[in-house]
Amino acid sequence: MKRFTLLLIALLTPILAGAAPSARLLLPNFAGLAQKASESVSITLDPALLSLAGKFLDGNDPQDAATKDILKGLQGIYVRSYTFDKDSAYQQSDIDAVRSQLSAPGWNRLMETRSRKTHADVDIYIMIDNNQAVGLALIASEPRQFTIVNIVGAIDLDKLHKLEGQFGVPKLDLDQSKPPDQLKPPAPQRKQSP
Amino acid sequence: MSNDIESRLKAALRPVAPCTQFSEKLVAKVCADRTAQIPPRRLAAAGRPLAWWLSASVAASVILGTGVHQHLQQQRLQQSGLEARREVLEALRMTSQKLNLAYEAVKSQATPPADEQSGA
Repeated sequence: MKRFTLLLIALLTPILAGAAPSARLLLPNFAGLAQKASESVSITLDPALLSLAGKFLDGNDPQDAATKDILKGLQGIYVRSYTFDKDSAYQQSDIDAVRSQLSAPGWNRLMETRSRKTHADVDIYIMIDNNQAVGLALIASEPRQFTIVNIVGAIDLDKLHKLEGQFGVPKLDLDQSKPPDQLKPPAPQRKQSP
Repeated sequence: MSNDIESRLKAALRPVAPCTQFSEKLVAKVCADRTAQIPPRRLAAAGRPLAWWLSASVAASVILGTGVHQHLQQQRLQQSGLEARREVLEALRMTSQKLNLAYEAVKSQATPPADEQSGA
């Protein structure tokens, strides 16, 4: 009976693990890049640290209050950012290990932008589970910098929208009723000539 | 008669050597008299053993050490909390900065060139 139970658990564990996709990305060490970078940022905030940070946010300050509101549903924030002194100091293959994880089931590409003006490529992915965003992944590649952001947890797009004006977040005009692949960027504001 | 009285007086007042334990008995009697005069509280303080003082000092050290440890722990927790807060704000700032990059790219693609607008 005991052996049967153990066998049943061993067989069901992969199935159960596969049923609930994880929004947390396995970020590489990037040790080699960190040595070459002139500036590197590595932020790892697990649920305990997020909870601790929330206690030190001032509810009377608008910025802190907005941040505190966002942190309520989050379970982790992970950021890796490296800045170099010269162009093309890093290879796209360094980021491919992260991109490959975003092709896993559950992840949906929300936005893919390629700018010739700034030479910046930004890919935004979102994980949906039971019609709720449970993860966000952002990969920004610039000639001298690349940044990977992974946010795990119940991301409220409305709250993200409310961040407009705070930290310089732009108005994304995200409509929650539409599926992610149908989300459109905001309409441009035309300048009227005098 | 006077000789008789004189001889009796001499015999009574003759010097006699004290017994061997006379001095000890005299010192003991003096100490006992002195002890009887000391108040009871001073007696208790004077009578506490060294072990009592050692135990009391150890207990005081433990209490003081615990208090200092808790204070240091509280300070470390506060530092960790402030550092976590700073990291959260930095992470969200960087996220918004990159979102802004995407927005600017979309905006620049959607906005028609200025010469086309003035030509029309």
